[in-house]
Amino acid sequence: MNMDLEKIKTRSVIVKLIRRWFDERGFLEMHTPRLVGLPGQEPHLDPFWTEVFTPSLTAHRSSFPAALITSPEYMMKRLLAEGLDKIYDLGPCFRNNEPWDGTHDPEFLMLEWYRCEAGLEDLMCDTEEMIRFVFHELRATGYTLRTEPFRRLTVEEAWREYSRIELAPLLENREAMAKVVKEHNQTVLPGDSWDDLFFKIFLSEIEPCLGKKVPTFLYCYPANMAALARKSVDDPRWAERVELYIGDFELANGFAELSDSIEQRARFEEERILRHKLGKKIWNFDERFLSSLSKMGNAAGMAFGVDRLVMLLTGAKSINEILPESARERFEEQLLDGRL
Amino acid sequence: MSSPSEIKKGCVIRDNNELWVVTEFQHINPGKGAAFVRTRVKNAKTGRSLERTYKVSESVDLVDMEYRNMQYLYHDSTGYTFMDSANYEQVTMSDDDVGDQGKYLKESLDVTLSMYEGNPIALQMPRKMKFKIIETMPAVKGDTASGNVTKEAKVDAGFTVRVPIFMKEGEEIIVNTDTGEYVERA
Repeated sequence: MNMDLEKIKTRSVIVKLIRRWFDERGFLEMHTPRLVGLPGQEPHLDPFWTEVFTPSLTAHRSSFPAALITSPEYMMKRLLAEGLDKIYDLGPCFRNNEPWDGTHDPEFLMLEWYRCEAGLEDLMCDTEEMIRFVFHELRATGYTLRTEPFRRLTVEEAWREYSRIELAPLLENREAMAKVVKEHNQTVLPGDSWDDLFFKIFLSEIEPCLGKKVPTFLYCYPANMAALARKSVDDPRWAERVELYIGDFELANGFAELSDSIEQRARFEEERILRHKLGKKIWNFDERFLSSLSKMGNAAGMAFGVDRLVMLLTGAKSINEILPESARERFEEQLLDGRL
Repeated sequence: MSSPSEIKKGCVIRDNNELWVVTEFQHINPGKGAAFVRTRVKNAKTGRSLERTYKVSESVDLVDMEYRNMQYLYHDSTGYTFMDSANYEQVTMSDDDVGDQGKYLKESLDVTLSMYEGNPIALQMPRKMKFKIIETMPAVKGDTASGNVTKEAKVDAGFTVRVPIFMKEGEEIIVNTDTGEYVERA
């Protein structure tokens, strides 16, 4: 019983304000399916699987496996490829095997929006304007948003500023990266990938500093760390990916979207190998998604954690305060008491 | 060797023959990366603190600790003093080492101390504890209509916690000491 009705009411108002911002700017809300046969491939996300039964199947089967989406991304991109522009989706997404630590719940409200012929600059402008609009309309009390513009920092600049490390010479050089990581008092194991080593320094020294004073966009990621992003036209060692940090939260993650289906298939292959290596379930690629990619053009899209914005603007310490009943409250107490 | 997912506040990690006490930890899932545990660890000898991030799939050397059942006696300028229920030996832990959990300590409370080479390293509280409300605003008609379903209450141990609007002074409640949240009426 940690719900706070005031905060739950504010959550409802925030959702309406977000919809209003997008609607007034000519974005169309899509209600993409939650239940799909081939969910996102991302190796570090686990979908919830279920079994679908129906008497209507014509094949010699009465049931098949299906999953709840971890993000509406594939369907949204197919809609872009079909010719839509400026679309958004705001609804629950589901991720299994996440820590219930006060910032995650296995079902959460996700906002994603996409535009054609756009890049990171457009996503950053949309995001900043939308947050300012919600903040002012709401007269939010839990957080003070100052008038100075959000900070824009490349990953390379962030490493230089907070860890005094030049990242560019370390790109794709695991040995050099391992040496630096060791010097920074972190563990290095033979099985650690370049990405793992990146995160050991990033999560220890850099991420805790981001967005604390001024909301901060972190952008231009090492090319290998952006599975669905285009490589930068100026320098292919970096990819067009952006994240937004405000206060204690990572609120959004966006890409200038990869539209090369051959490269996308290659990245899917790599991800499938990694899933297999991690002992995780594997499934077929979504071929309809892959074949639509080339028709999508130069699109950009942002995924935005609505519940985290609600926590920020209401000053909630835990996601449990802004949900009618969090998973932790639904399941954990009952498990401990032997009722489940 | 153990998985970093077993890391908890107060456990001790051995790394290159140095002992590091975990003072804070947080599970992190960067979304587009593997799962990690970010820790703040304190060197048991020098007291130096640093941030260290472990991949959940790597293994860490968690030191075997000796667990002793103790009773809480009193708090003074040297810290919190406990007594071993078996041999009446007294042990003192500094305010720093006890940290935020100190607020739950009530005289003669039974706790478990994790000891390493005779020194107390960490304190384990009962997960659910009973407290008595000593101060809270009475519920006013219309509160629930305006959405105020919880309110602040001060309990006998001296800290405040959010409780349902209908709770009154003198009533007893159960608090989860991991989260610091109200669980139910006692």
